[in-house]
Amino acid sequence: MKTKFFSAILLNLILCSCSIAGDWYTGRGCAEGKAVLEYNGDKKLDEWHYIYKNNRRYKPGLAVWASPALAVVGGHPMAFIGGYDQTLHALDLAEKNVVWRKITNGEISSAPAVAKIEGTDIVFWGSADRTVYAHSAFSGRKLWTKELIEPSSTLGQIFISSPYIHNAKLYISCFAYDKSLSRNEQKGYLFCLDTKTGRILLRLQVSTGILTDPIGFSLDGKSYVAVCARRGLLQCFDVTSETPRKVWQYQMPHETLGSPVVTTQTDPPMIYLGSKYGNFVAINAYTGQQVWQEMAGNWIDNSAAIGEIGGKKVAFVGSHDYCVYAYDAQTGGLIWKKPIGGEVFSAPTFFKIGGVSYLCVASLDNHLYVLDAQTGTIFNSYFTGNPIWDKLPKGEYLWGSPATVLSGADTCIVYGSFNDMVYSIPVMKACSLTAMARSVKSLWVSLGAVLFIFCAVVMPIFLKIPLKQTAN
Amino acid sequence: MNTTWLDRIENFISNMFSNIKLVEKGLLGLEGSYVELMTVLALGLLAVIPILTGQKNRQFWRHVNQIFGIGIFIFVVFTCLGVFGMIRNFYRGLSEIGRENIIALYYCSVPVTILVTSMLFGPAFCGWICPTGALQEFISVLTRKHTLAHKNSGYRFSKKLFVTAVFVAAVFILWMYRLSVTRLFFIEDASIYWSEVLIILLFVLVFRMRQWDFKLRRLRVLSFAIITAGAVMSMRITSPVHFGFAKVYDPASFLSTVIVALSALVIPMVWCKYLCPWRCAIAWAAKHSVRKIKFDQSKCVRCAKCNDACLLDAVDYGKINRNECHLCFKCVDICPANCFYIEDNWMPDEN
Repeated sequence: MKTKFFSAILLNLILCSCSIAGDWYTGRGCAEGKAVLEYNGDKKLDEWHYIYKNNRRYKPGLAVWASPALAVVGGHPMAFIGGYDQTLHALDLAEKNVVWRKITNGEISSAPAVAKIEGTDIVFWGSADRTVYAHSAFSGRKLWTKELIEPSSTLGQIFISSPYIHNAKLYISCFAYDKSLSRNEQKGYLFCLDTKTGRILLRLQVSTGILTDPIGFSLDGKSYVAVCARRGLLQCFDVTSETPRKVWQYQMPHETLGSPVVTTQTDPPMIYLGSKYGNFVAINAYTGQQVWQEMAGNWIDNSAAIGEIGGKKVAFVGSHDYCVYAYDAQTGGLIWKKPIGGEVFSAPTFFKIGGVSYLCVASLDNHLYVLDAQTGTIFNSYFTGNPIWDKLPKGEYLWGSPATVLSGADTCIVYGSFNDMVYSIPVMKACSLTAMARSVKSLWVSLGAVLFIFCAVVMPIFLKIPLKQTAN
Repeated sequence: MNTTWLDRIENFISNMFSNIKLVEKGLLGLEGSYVELMTVLALGLLAVIPILTGQKNRQFWRHVNQIFGIGIFIFVVFTCLGVFGMIRNFYRGLSEIGRENIIALYYCSVPVTILVTSMLFGPAFCGWICPTGALQEFISVLTRKHTLAHKNSGYRFSKKLFVTAVFVAAVFILWMYRLSVTRLFFIEDASIYWSEVLIILLFVLVFRMRQWDFKLRRLRVLSFAIITAGAVMSMRITSPVHFGFAKVYDPASFLSTVIVALSALVIPMVWCKYLCPWRCAIAWAAKHSVRKIKFDQSKCVRCAKCNDACLLDAVDYGKINRNECHLCFKCVDICPANCFYIEDNWMPDEN
């Protein structure tokens, strides 16, 4: 019995040690933006609604939750999710409890990153208090923190992106607005930090505006980091040597909010990015030249995701025209376009269960949609609650996107909704949030029901009640 | 991907509204305070204009005011999402008082401004500002000749109106069919059900308007009750005609906007007369307003011009039904014998 028990623990540890690699690609976990964690452990994943009500420190109007980062830590599938309540929450999705929380002094607007550094699983995140935090993913123990920007009484808005971790280095972008009358500076920096100590290895000003999450990729043995300014200037740096060198830059047709994603499995390797006016662009990762450009609706808020269907790379992106688009990643040919119930504000998460590809996006009609990634058919939808406040300026903040824990029949989608809850939603099992998505038939039935109720009940009653004299 | 002509129309209309982003961006410089601030200021000012405007060219200035009203709703208070949203947001704002007062102010600012100005100056919001009312009024001009003849004939059955009602119903069914196969609908897409009811009403009224008109106007109370219950139960209920106020394309609301506009061709101000839930609250608020239109019976020559001018059938040879009156002053302006006058009790008579 004991042997079995220890064997199980050992097996679990081996499996789990494979789950966290040394690299972490921005907020979506992988360079292609799929936001998927493969979990092969024996723990069951079920529906879970997490809410934290104590001592919330909200600045009203913000987006409540950032996107989650998923990782297996100590054999447990965990979600690390930051919030606009300035707190990072480490949630055990199997045990349905909070392992630890860490409050910071600023809003956490970007997803954390989780990486194994010298055998320790570490979660890294940035907060609007100008600081990058590194804590043990297992216990929450602080390893180091680093202030990126000097404190100043005139500092205004601070925005810190999701980290990208590569070769024990952490790349993160930071925007700081110093409102001092004399300086009045707006600077967007790309930082590189040592993941072990937090020492700043590089501070490079790349823009005078907010920057997206940095994305990294390797080509021909060289390492590159690309980052895009909110104003649409995408810049790529060769970071192979100590001193980074700008390799190319590309000006997007309009502003961008979402971060770029990259795939090296197309010819040439390509970076994909959407603009706030709907331009979806594929850029040659070697040269920075545009390979193709398509209009995906009128407003792309977030990143794309690159999946593979039938041996072909497909780029998925959601738009504010209520549609999810699937493009041939190589040529830009539209494969399908699926309208859903509201503006698609999230980045998609792409996953495969039993050979079938799925896509999950969040929409402003307060639903999560799971689509068949091959055809765009809606597989299921889930009601994720009304926003706790409506006053969210669209297109100014990146809202949280779903991520997937891939575990066969236990596969769950983890999503921090703007109703203040974090949901773990089973895709293949019954879920209390499953929405009343109408079929064509039920739509006509409901219209018939309204016709009947109005004609047979409401009108006769109203016609029978005598009029009160109201004229004067 | 094949694009149909309907896709092209939809794209064209949604592109028309894409410029709203630029306006919103400019307003964002005010860091979010613009909604409360500008709404209260703008709606307050618009509500005062009916008082300041003299009889000369009053209708011209009223239409200018309505156009400004449309602009303000589209560019400033788009988050209110029309009449249903105003009720829902008001409830939500009230429930936030004491906890999140800024949020409460934000949600309450538009409905409170409208109710307060209605309490003081009468239901001028409906006649001078409301974009839904303005839309219907402008549309109904196109068929006014026929609808007036229908009214003067004592609301007899009219083949033309019947054919128009059939046309509206056909547009609804075909559009509904198209939407049903291209998009998901949820229970919250309530605007389609209100549109359906509106079409049923059109048919009923084409045949039985004379007998059932005022009885059916009480449906506004039911409409108000349903929306209020929906707000209390935190249901997200999409509003007809919020399409124009929202920044983005909402197909269900777009359809209902079209249906309200087309229905106004058959019966002028049909949405305001029979289904507008907000009208209930405004009529209640305006019951004891300080400004009222009064009628001097002794001067009346019974020309019935006031009857003809009123799109809401709120005037019957000088008798004004306050539950229906939108305070548009058309009756006042058109009367050749100057029978109507405006009573203002703002300053109590010293005598």
